[in-house]
Amino acid sequence: MISSPTLHVISTELTIGMFALSGVAFLLCLLQKGPLSREAVAHWALLGGLLATPFAILTGIDSAPGDGIDNPLLANKVLLSMTSAGLAIGVLVRRKWGGEADIRHACTGMISVGLMLTTAGMGGEYSRNETLLFFVPKETVLIFPIWASILLIILGIVIIAKSAIQHRVS
Amino acid sequence: MRIRVGIVLLLMLLSATISTANPGGKGDDIRSRDCAGSCHASSSSNGVSSANLSIELPDEIYAGLLMEIITSVRGVDVSSNNLVGMALLINSDGAKDLPANDGWEVITDPNGGVNNYVEISDSFSSQTSVNRSWTLRAPSSPGSYELYLAVQHGSQEGGIAMSGISDSVEVQVLTVPENLPQLSPEWKPINSRLIGEETTITLETMNTESATVELKNGAEISIISVTDGKFTIPAAVNPGTVEWRVILEGEGPTQTSPWFRLTAQLPGWSVDETSLYVQGFALFLLGASLVMIQRPKEEIIDKKYDNTNQVIAVEASIPELTFTQTSEIVTEATPIPPEGLPEGWTMEQWNYYGHEHLKSLEGGAV
Repeated sequence: MISSPTLHVISTELTIGMFALSGVAFLLCLLQKGPLSREAVAHWALLGGLLATPFAILTGIDSAPGDGIDNPLLANKVLLSMTSAGLAIGVLVRRKWGGEADIRHACTGMISVGLMLTTAGMGGEYSRNETLLFFVPKETVLIFPIWASILLIILGIVIIAKSAIQHRVS
Repeated sequence: MRIRVGIVLLLMLLSATISTANPGGKGDDIRSRDCAGSCHASSSSNGVSSANLSIELPDEIYAGLLMEIITSVRGVDVSSNNLVGMALLINSDGAKDLPANDGWEVITDPNGGVNNYVEISDSFSSQTSVNRSWTLRAPSSPGSYELYLAVQHGSQEGGIAMSGISDSVEVQVLTVPENLPQLSPEWKPINSRLIGEETTITLETMNTESATVELKNGAEISIISVTDGKFTIPAAVNPGTVEWRVILEGEGPTQTSPWFRLTAQLPGWSVDETSLYVQGFALFLLGASLVMIQRPKEEIIDKKYDNTNQVIAVEASIPELTFTQTSEIVTEATPIPPEGLPEGWTMEQWNYYGHEHLKSLEGGAV
């Protein structure tokens, strides 16, 4: 058997590896360089990274010392990873609906990948107190009032529903 | 060009140093000595520490009662961060060596926790001795036990992890005399508190008629009265540690407890987790929706998947032909020879291939 931290390392490397591959492929899409398979690689790697993300989160929670979120790094990891996952799902759904990997699409994919890699970097800082992202203000957490978050949820649901209906009509 | 890149990569690889230690430590925890993979890459790759290690015991140790030991690390140069990992163990085998395996309980470790492995940052050097105090509860069974102090640290040159362990220290655990004033076996001290809060501690004693608490703050020792088994330690204004001990009097010989440490800490960082998770979900939905709202333009979809316009255009360019017109064209193109259709030919075949047959006749071939 292996310990939770080791399992977390495995799942994290799986997740980050796929996200990193997706990021490189999206960069090629942005530059319009490289093989034609770059679009397929970007989106399939992004999907793979998304599927591995829950395992990384669950093993991370299991292996973290202490109870609950008692460090601003952990709070920022939650917010960044959720934002990244949302953007990634949006990119994949847009692709499924027939969107081309144009500049805006590729940039969004790269932002999603960047946020997830930042999340992983913060995990390294949390466990080993070492990071290359020393310039990122990770100790500051922006927490909305709960009513504002609910408002954002409603707004998100309305936008998604509107987009889905328009897609069906067209 | 490739050769130059290869040379640069080779130089980078050769310039790398091989390090097997975790320079920043791994944090206090309950650890066996052979913590390969978590503390160091492999115990076989460690160097031997030159540290002089010792454990100082109290004169009398009673089964199940609290006691204090002092561990010393002397005469060792460590890495630049002056960090040494110290572990209290019961054997040197590297397995089943946790104090709990013999019934020892770490009540307060040198850092105010309850771990057998702690990381100490201090002025370690070949000329200094660094002492640390541990409060333990002795095993509940009298007898002879062993304790070891193990250390692991970096080296001044870097690149290799050093590991060392003391000689065995024999501990005789005695049977508790009758009527010995003592703290209850179930009682445990408080190790930490927040700054600005008074701390009221309730003592649970046995065979005790009166108790007096001594509070040590720096070099100053003050007496605190105990009422109904309770006493209060004043609030701390700064982060730091105060030590206290209790003197128990009764029919048996007077007992003095080990020094207990109470560490005052700044309030830890906290967040409303409900707000955090709701906001995380909101950001997830918002991120997805903002991308999905950028629907692909319809003309792009038409261009990729809808070929209706192209099909209509092609159909429009084809002239409408009637059966009669077609027959005329075919008849004009290939007149039937006077001798009639070749043997075995049908009219349909003649319409399609008759002109080739005529050409072959003109060429002299049949």
